Amino acid sequence: MIPTRFEYVAPRTAADVVAALDGESRLLAGGTWVVPEMGRAESRPRRVVDLRRAGLATISVEGSRLRLGAMCTYSDLLSSEDVTRHAPLLRTMASGVTGGSALRNQATIGGSVAAARPQSDVPATLVALRADAVVAGPAGSRRVPTAELFLGAGRTTLAVDEVITGFDLPSERMSGHGYVKLKRGGSSWPIVTAAALLRLDDDGRCETAHLVLGGVEAVPMTVDLTIMLGRPLGDQELDVAAARTVAALSAPWTDVLAPGDYRAAVAAPAARRALAMARANVGVTEGERHGRRPDCP
Amino acid sequence: MEVGLRTAGKSVGRPVRKHDGDAYLTANATYTGDIVLPGTVYAALVRAPLAHALIRSVSTAAAEGATGVIAVVTGEDMIPWCDEIPHGLDAGHLGGHHSAVFPLAVEKVVYAGEPIAAVVATSEADAHAACLMVEVDYEPLPVLLDVESALAADAPILYPAWAENVLIEGHVGNDDFAEVARTAPHVLEGELRTHRGTAAPMEPRTYLADWDAGRQHLTLYASTQNPHVLRTVLAAAMRLREDQIHVVAPKVGGSFGLKMYGSREDFIAPVLARMVGRPVSWVEERAASLLPAAREQVLSYRVAFDDDGGLLALDVEALTDHGAAAPTHGWAMAYVGALSTGLGYAIEHCHVHYRVVVTNKAPWSGTKPFGKDGATLLLERIMERVAAATGVDAGTVRRRNFVAPSAFPYRHTSGLELDSGDYAAALDQTLEILSHERLRADQARLRAQGRYLGIGLGFELMPESADIPGGFVAAYDTSTVRMSPSGRVSVLTGVTSPGTGSDTGICQLVADELGVALDTVSVVQGDTDTCPYGFGNISSRSLVTGGNAAVLAARDVADKIRAAARALLRADYDEPVLIEDGIARLTRDPSRSVSVVEAARAVYTRSYELELDVEPHLESTRTYRPSNIREVPDALGRMQTYTTYPYAVHASVVEVDVETGVVTLLRHVATHDCGTVVNPLMVDGQVTGGVVMGLGAAFSEELVFDDDGIPLTTGFKTYLLPRAVDVPRVELGHLCTPAPGTPLGAKGVGEAGFAGALAAAFNAVNDAVAPLGARLDRTPLSPIAIMRALREARR
Repeated sequence: MIPTRFEYVAPRTAADVVAALDGESRLLAGGTWVVPEMGRAESRPRRVVDLRRAGLATISVEGSRLRLGAMCTYSDLLSSEDVTRHAPLLRTMASGVTGGSALRNQATIGGSVAAARPQSDVPATLVALRADAVVAGPAGSRRVPTAELFLGAGRTTLAVDEVITGFDLPSERMSGHGYVKLKRGGSSWPIVTAAALLRLDDDGRCETAHLVLGGVEAVPMTVDLTIMLGRPLGDQELDVAAARTVAALSAPWTDVLAPGDYRAAVAAPAARRALAMARANVGVTEGERHGRRPDCP
Repeated sequence: MEVGLRTAGKSVGRPVRKHDGDAYLTANATYTGDIVLPGTVYAALVRAPLAHALIRSVSTAAAEGATGVIAVVTGEDMIPWCDEIPHGLDAGHLGGHHSAVFPLAVEKVVYAGEPIAAVVATSEADAHAACLMVEVDYEPLPVLLDVESALAADAPILYPAWAENVLIEGHVGNDDFAEVARTAPHVLEGELRTHRGTAAPMEPRTYLADWDAGRQHLTLYASTQNPHVLRTVLAAAMRLREDQIHVVAPKVGGSFGLKMYGSREDFIAPVLARMVGRPVSWVEERAASLLPAAREQVLSYRVAFDDDGGLLALDVEALTDHGAAAPTHGWAMAYVGALSTGLGYAIEHCHVHYRVVVTNKAPWSGTKPFGKDGATLLLERIMERVAAATGVDAGTVRRRNFVAPSAFPYRHTSGLELDSGDYAAALDQTLEILSHERLRADQARLRAQGRYLGIGLGFELMPESADIPGGFVAAYDTSTVRMSPSGRVSVLTGVTSPGTGSDTGICQLVADELGVALDTVSVVQGDTDTCPYGFGNISSRSLVTGGNAAVLAARDVADKIRAAARALLRADYDEPVLIEDGIARLTRDPSRSVSVVEAARAVYTRSYELELDVEPHLESTRTYRPSNIREVPDALGRMQTYTTYPYAVHASVVEVDVETGVVTLLRHVATHDCGTVVNPLMVDGQVTGGVVMGLGAAFSEELVFDDDGIPLTTGFKTYLLPRAVDVPRVELGHLCTPAPGTPLGAKGVGEAGFAGALAAAFNAVNDAVAPLGARLDRTPLSPIAIMRALREARR
């Protein structure tokens, strides 16, 4: 039940969405955050602009890039072979989202990014994947690297009359991925997430390495792993990465579920585990990754 | 009460499904919120945004002009319509302080979220929207958020007339610790802190009140545990006669103590309905449903023991963070905690000094298992510490201290008298289910690999079916059994069911007594116009009180059926008749029989064929009043106020990830004894549910406040209930020592599981981190607390 009155529109194009946006309107994607907030009267927009009819739930591959509509739900990610092939990290992330099937069918990746909640899974995952957000505004469309989108808890660089229509990201078909999430139980939001992507060259040396943590700071925290490039991935290298994670921390995030000192303390083990998982994943085929042994019929 | 014990019959003792389970499963069960009366309007509450403040003024004008608004009512406005709320157990009459609480705050707020005004509107949304338009001018006052600050010499006094921040204090047992300790081989001291938690039923408090101005009559549909007593206190405060009020409790979506009668929330809808003259619906918001609290205590202890781990004396200083004063029984949880401290262990000297301290948080409110959880956790922690100090195995320490089966009846130092049980047998069974020896070996092996398994025990002994002399909590209750001319059986009872299935158990009992099929019997409860006056469901009492009463009443009806059968069969008046499978037959000549239906019909239609001293009706109302209650205090002021003493021994197995503090619950075992089991499905369900609730309290459920006393845990994303993925299948063992001197031998089971699970989990986590030198002396066992303990250990 939403106590306050508001105008509701559900435009059919991104341009019409943009036209409906102003300082007193609120975008509605899956609504899993916006609707409860309005129910508690913490948000009282004059107009709600629903994205459900704007055609933003497509998934496609163009060349070596994966394109995801902003209205893709976790279930959409989970059922997409393109996602499984080109961004298995997203699949792993989506399969562990808190809230069960009701939430997976409803919540969207665009909504999660726009909400910019430090304790959500999606922002850090998309940053690790070096995704660009495709943003529509009055002047047309622009692309913003997701790493540059987040300003703070609940704050993005998006203007009030802009909307994320989708994401565009490079294929990670050749990478191993790791995803680790610490939380306080089945009903808890994530406390810390760590998303890792590793690619090895033919000699088993690290060719690319990406590590982004969510929940430890107000915005996704990228750990610079340049130091690992060109080296074999031994336990020692993972220790170095964990140490770099600790060094990268500046202002740990605190919320009701966990204080900053806890997040800071568990960031390194989370990072190390994500990298270890990614290392173990490198070169694993999609079939194996999803539990089907290759020799099974 | 002289009655033969019975254990199993056609229905009793069998895993019968809920008699009304289909209605729940197919969404056809009617809850209070499902009922809509013509012309219903909706109430919403304006709640205090500050934890302590004077109300300078309340401006309702803007809200009154808002869409759909019918009335805006302040605390002052309500005073002519409702006196202060009668106390369930007034501390002011027991050496403590009285507090006057009205449905809406008047002049002052003492906790954030306290209701200060109500809006009634034609839709729920409009009522809530108009609440946002009520302007309140507050003068903030200093805030007290913990017992230490509240007891400080310079602390502001919350209720100035009291001149202190202690609602009530008292002693249980003799204060002779120092004497014993002087010669004791060992003395340990420590402190245990428990955290604030709550009941969290899925269905919040929900009411629909209908005032009929013509008849001057109130009908209240309420999600309540005690409809009759609710009517009594409503009548008193609203200055109505009890016969002017009809309370109906439809299906209840969980209560766990939250829906005990007499909270201020009980009065909101009835008073508003009378004020506006229309049916008023009020559903408590989730955030408000999470305000009432329990459990937050500081327990300082000293224990004296011998070289073998035998406890010689225990002394406890128990500080309760009650929050604001309230008219409910909440504070009594501190008293019950003191009464049950050490219960089940043969400790000759056991003394508890309890103090109930008021702070600027929402008040304590009766919550399963009513204060016995803190006492259990404390003793089980002490057992582990004594074991560590003496080098005696923790199970053996418990065995050495348990009250032995040969010692019953055993009077504890608090006055409670244990009737029966075999605590060591429960421990043995739990250790056997656990494969304890093998598990310890696994633990040692894994530790060498840097993995930290922990195994913890928890013994719980729950005094159940409470009796409060002079109060509306009674050890007895009343049931009517009525058979119609067509042989249908209705049980009308003063006890209720919050969804636990005690009503199915009552059906089973009555079906067996009358020798009829289970689906012949239905239960009517929760209706003050049709059911005998009773005390509802609290203190695990429904089956023990209402069930025993129904058995007695059913036996009367069965006797009448026998008399009718004898008359129809032209048998002598003393001819024994056996009723079974719906047939009454002569025991000595089974070929001569009539159906129960024929006999029932005959009672109503051929009454002149019956013996003249047999009244021609098939109805009996009986009260079951247990014989072991002693309301009159002995020379030491001790009473025996509980009917049954079920118990359990739990074991938790956890793995602690020492890099993150995350705990994985690997196993939970509980061997439980609630005497005669009427329905094993329901008993297993109750124990399992209690275990999960206790594990939730141990690990994740915590009410959190900011520095100003504003609650931060306002929903189930922040107040973290366990989910199915968090809890392993609970492995249950069963013992049966029937409650002596009772018709059924059944003991209460509604609070089972919680305390022992909490204690076992607490000990398991401590066992896991002990090799790292870490120790936790407070709940919850959150990853944050565990990491802090590990960090401190490294220092």
